[in-house]
Amino acid sequence: MDLLFPRGFTYPPEFHIPTLTGEPILQVGPVSYTNAHFTMLLVIVLLAAVAALATRTMRAVPSGLQNVTELLVQGLDDFVISIGGPDARRYLPFFGTLFLFILVSNWLSVVPLIGQVGILHSPTADYHINFAMAVVAWVAYQTEGFRVLRFGYAKRWLNFSGFKDGPFLGAIFVLVGLIELFSELFRMLTLTLRLWGNVLGGEIMLVVMAGLLLVPGLALPFVGLEVFIGLVQALVFALLVLMYFVLAIESHDEQPEEGAHREADRVPSSEQHPQASAA
Amino acid sequence: MEFAGLAAGIAVGFGVLGPGIGIGILTAKSSEAIGRNPDATGAIRTNMILGAALAEGLGILSFVLGILLWTRIG
Repeated sequence: MDLLFPRGFTYPPEFHIPTLTGEPILQVGPVSYTNAHFTMLLVIVLLAAVAALATRTMRAVPSGLQNVTELLVQGLDDFVISIGGPDARRYLPFFGTLFLFILVSNWLSVVPLIGQVGILHSPTADYHINFAMAVVAWVAYQTEGFRVLRFGYAKRWLNFSGFKDGPFLGAIFVLVGLIELFSELFRMLTLTLRLWGNVLGGEIMLVVMAGLLLVPGLALPFVGLEVFIGLVQALVFALLVLMYFVLAIESHDEQPEEGAHREADRVPSSEQHPQASAA
Repeated sequence: MEFAGLAAGIAVGFGVLGPGIGIGILTAKSSEAIGRNPDATGAIRTNMILGAALAEGLGILSFVLGILLWTRIG
């Protein structure tokens, strides 16, 4: 018994819950370099190395690593087009980068020692990095909306077109626009917290399960669950950002053909004025 | 702060109820939809995962609240 439990048997045993954010390993004035930063660097180096190795000797008939990479890129491309149509192909690099980075980071959080030793902490289990990604995505899709629709983009928040049908409808449209504006801000928050909560919660669950079951191998089914959740969350983050892009570039204006006789179409009725099928 | 642990447990427990029911209904309905129209499996699955993630986000909010309370214990 002394060999198995040199410090005496205690249940539950001592286990180290992963910290909520990265711990600083280097501090220069107010700026700290945390272990999450360091692990993020490892992820970036890994992805860049795979990309460089796969494209170093390109062949028309791919094999090996190039084959796998092409399969991956083609799959992401097909997925983006199935979600947003050919117009959305423009956002494939951003979508793919987010997806691959988050996927590798999420899967790192399952690996033993990451989150346990001092210099390793999964990047997506630190909400600062998630928030940075959410802010970058937010600024990018707002910019894209203004680039495509010019100032017509702001019409979804400041919509006064309802006033021509009376003050009541106008007030409702303005209110709906304000709710839209607030939901834009909440998108950043929910993107951040969803990813952080899932990854950190998974890490804590793995540690607690391994601790409570005493034998670490018994927690293996939960590792499988976490691998699946990591994939789903990476897909969801990237997919939601892609959906925000697709929503941002779609116009809320009426179609030009309808605009010619807008006065007559004041009361929309699908039976009297059948829509053109090109929607 | 002696009730922080209790508060964290209650917050997470009740907060996860709603998303749990929601994801259950979502999965049941999309399974039905796939059964009725197996050709649309891809689109239904994508929408299902998206909806499940949105519903789960609410549960995660309560989990984050629980973590914030849990750090007050002690």
